[in-house]
Amino acid sequence: MNILIPHHWLLEQLKTEAVPEKIQEYLSLSGPSIERVYEHGRERVYDIEITTNRVDSMSVRGVAREAAVILKQFDIPAKLVKNSLSFAQIKPTSKQLLPLPKITDKTKLCSRMSGVILQNVQRQPTPKWMADRLQLIEANVHDAAIDITNYVTHEQGHPIHAFDYDRIMQLGGEIIITLAKKGEKFTTLDGENYVATGGEVVYKNPAGKIIDLPAIKGTSNSAVSANTKNILLWIESIDPTKIRFASMTHAIRTVAAQLAEKGIDPHLAEPTMVKAVQLYQELCNAQIASEVYDAFPNQKIPPTITLDLHKIHAYLGLVLPTKKIIDILSALECQVKITRETLRIIPPTFRRDLNIPVDIIEEIARIYGYHQLPSKLMATSIPLSQQTDTNFQAENIAKHYLSNIGWQEVYTYSLISEELAKKSNWSVASHAKLINPLTDDKTYLRRSLIPSLLQVIETNSHLPELSVFELAHVYHPQNHGLPKEVLHLSLASNKSFPKVKGDLISLLKKFHISNVTVKPNLNEDAGFIKVDDIRIGQLKVIDKITIIEIIFTQLLPLMKTHPHYQPLPKTASVIEQLTFTLPTKTFIGPIITDISELSPKIKTVLLKGVYQQNYTLTIEYWDPQKNLTNENVRPLRKRIVKVIEKTYQAKLVGKLE
Amino acid sequence: MVYMEISLTSLEQAIQTLEQQLDHETELDPQKLNTKYLGKRGLFNELSKQIKDISPKDRKQAGKLLNALKNSLQTKLGNLQLHKAEDWVDLTFPGTLPPQGHLHPVSQAIEEISEIFKKIGFTRARYPEVDWDYYAFGSLNMPPDHPARDEWETFFVDLPADKKMGKIVLTPHTSNGQVREMERLKGKPPIRMINIARCYRRQQDVTHTQMFHQFEGLVVDQGINIQHLKGTLDYFAKEFYGPGTKSRIRPFHFQFTEPSFEVDFSCHLCHGTGLIGGEKCSFCKSGWHEVGGAGMVHPNVLKAGGIDPNKYTGFAFGWGVERTYTLKEGLNIDDIRLLYSEEMRFFEQF
Repeated sequence: MNILIPHHWLLEQLKTEAVPEKIQEYLSLSGPSIERVYEHGRERVYDIEITTNRVDSMSVRGVAREAAVILKQFDIPAKLVKNSLSFAQIKPTSKQLLPLPKITDKTKLCSRMSGVILQNVQRQPTPKWMADRLQLIEANVHDAAIDITNYVTHEQGHPIHAFDYDRIMQLGGEIIITLAKKGEKFTTLDGENYVATGGEVVYKNPAGKIIDLPAIKGTSNSAVSANTKNILLWIESIDPTKIRFASMTHAIRTVAAQLAEKGIDPHLAEPTMVKAVQLYQELCNAQIASEVYDAFPNQKIPPTITLDLHKIHAYLGLVLPTKKIIDILSALECQVKITRETLRIIPPTFRRDLNIPVDIIEEIARIYGYHQLPSKLMATSIPLSQQTDTNFQAENIAKHYLSNIGWQEVYTYSLISEELAKKSNWSVASHAKLINPLTDDKTYLRRSLIPSLLQVIETNSHLPELSVFELAHVYHPQNHGLPKEVLHLSLASNKSFPKVKGDLISLLKKFHISNVTVKPNLNEDAGFIKVDDIRIGQLKVIDKITIIEIIFTQLLPLMKTHPHYQPLPKTASVIEQLTFTLPTKTFIGPIITDISELSPKIKTVLLKGVYQQNYTLTIEYWDPQKNLTNENVRPLRKRIVKVIEKTYQAKLVGKLE
Repeated sequence: MVYMEISLTSLEQAIQTLEQQLDHETELDPQKLNTKYLGKRGLFNELSKQIKDISPKDRKQAGKLLNALKNSLQTKLGNLQLHKAEDWVDLTFPGTLPPQGHLHPVSQAIEEISEIFKKIGFTRARYPEVDWDYYAFGSLNMPPDHPARDEWETFFVDLPADKKMGKIVLTPHTSNGQVREMERLKGKPPIRMINIARCYRRQQDVTHTQMFHQFEGLVVDQGINIQHLKGTLDYFAKEFYGPGTKSRIRPFHFQFTEPSFEVDFSCHLCHGTGLIGGEKCSFCKSGWHEVGGAGMVHPNVLKAGGIDPNKYTGFAFGWGVERTYTLKEGLNIDDIRLLYSEEMRFFEQF
């Protein structure tokens, strides 16, 4: 949460000569981060980020308190102005006292409830000094009777609410704190209607009507209106989880709710209310028409935290003098006792974030100054255990190789539209879906990268040639548990099919994987890619675009970092060409395989060229023991021709010797 | 050899081979080359003789091909003579480029980051991108409905929740790898992990995309302290942004670290001063760039991972890859949505 604080408002709570630039620099190093200081007329305004655990700093006074401790560490004199605001200062000033409404807490979720009645509140415009400050903190300006509550909340840190006293009395003169039932209705002071989901802490009148959504927003039937003359000024401390529940459920994210859900120190009720009463007296000529009502049934006693000195040193990596440690903690208003090497610390009530020893170590370290700690690398042992199911090096090699031979790597979104989901081989319904997508085009978790890659090619259809690839996970939902994440390497290109397939073969060769075959499906320009008998992915040609989907994890066990060296041949091979006329739509792959497997003496079979239905194959015969002669080759050649002519209804072009 | 008809294809290939042979000749004397290729017993004439083995129906076509070859050889040899005569190569002739693809900038950044951490003993790991609420939040000291969760803008997946593990979420950070890594090592440090993965948050503008990448460092052992975190950050800053770059940590709050820090790197243009020649540095505005969060691992997180917080301490950090990368000097990417676009004119520059 960010808070805006004008410099001169801060100086009302903090005595210091420090200039805004220094306050910004030093507070950011040791306390809340002052993201910027901007000028507004003659005033400088701090824009400060307060972390969620430090709701005690979400006020002018809260920041002043931090600044007083931090600036002194940088040898800049600074002092928090003493706060003497106490309930003892509130004494009835009206001749005619008014009765307080009856208060009944059925929930036992309130740790403190405080109130006072103000009589004859004159409705005055907000004075310029206050209106200016409210504008600087980007708050709306109404009139004094309303703005006082926002002003003191910002200054002191506790939300405070003004009820129309007379309306509360007309509604039955009782505030019953209870849990809302499902279906109950209420209207907030800005006229919005809500229906309770049940379980929200609400105020009701004896007739069971909701008359306030406490600590979040007032309701229209009890809040101050234009005709209000008497005000019941009210502060409550309710279980923060209940406030958060109601605020999130109804999406009513007021400043009050955001403060209250983080657990504000109920002790802040006192200065906040006293300051408000003073302002009502001063600006609205209000009279105090009751004693202060103050019920504080659940006083939370801060914990005693035990911390060994050696633990502080272990976190900081150096030994701080004990006196320094105690000085820092005392400056932060902690009570500290030391026995031998152990500190016993009781934090102040407003520091509800301090509960365990490391919380205290953080306080010591940041006030001492992180910037004062040396910087060094650890000298501890290096872990040797690695994950076994990944191979980042292989991923890098694949990516580099493909990009070096002309492929562009892309990163497309893992979240896809229904339209893209439809274009995969999976039904839309079989995809995992987001419950709360941000945009329609990113709703499903993809099961294939291909539709995304095809979209890239389509978007770039003006380019004469484009080859793209991506290495990313797909997500397959399971019957139980998490979706299965599978790493895919997918490629799409509008280059000619043999070129794309050649790139794939050469990529696999990079990992010393050979024996790659494609088994075509019937009636489709698609097939499975296999290495020996292991299926590693699939391949398809759609509208002259070749797409390849490799399941990268399948490839990992097949990869080798080095070849198995074959001794260099000592004998010469015989190379010749055979041309066959094949019937149309004959797959050439199986023919090459069949020839290769006919004899160990057939070393390689390559397709040399195709002219119409004539396929010319270059065949290399080789025997590691001796140089082959034409006599040796003749029977092999005969067998090749016989087998191929028979199996594939092929015809050799030319005749055998 | 086999006696058989020569197909047109074979002839075409022979023609191509001959042309290539000439292109790769090392012989420099044009006269000798002329004899070799176009002489009476030259290679061209030898090839032409094969026309008689070509089936009669293809002979006409074969003749055309051979004629074209002769013309081509004559031209090439003629050019050679010309060049030889003037001893001239046009060095200004445009080079022919091989096809060039590009590694995605995020891949380049991830590789660089991995290498930097590898050198100081970090092991790269990978953990689920779609994970249980328990690993993304619960085990990180963030019980359900905790206000601190608001900052993560989390996507939830419409799959059945688990009684113990909670809902299924798209990981909004890589910190889900913390307890998972501790579990993998059965609660036995040393841990020095770098986990890099896709992350997802419900936000989208010039500096945020719904999908992005984070890298997460986790170090746990006996005697690990804040100085080691500072050392690691300084080392990374120098390696990634260049010598002289410094890091600093400032107080912050995360539920899963205590103390928690915000990490800044000094601007390499103004060296952390915020000023260049007396003017405000336009790149950083304050001398420092905020890159992400870090902290000492919270005792509850160590406990969740089966590690005794009284015996071990550790630190963790997690930042966006894109943010870290785009701060590189002179890179000048002002809209990170480009990284996940289909704009080839962008990728071709990397």
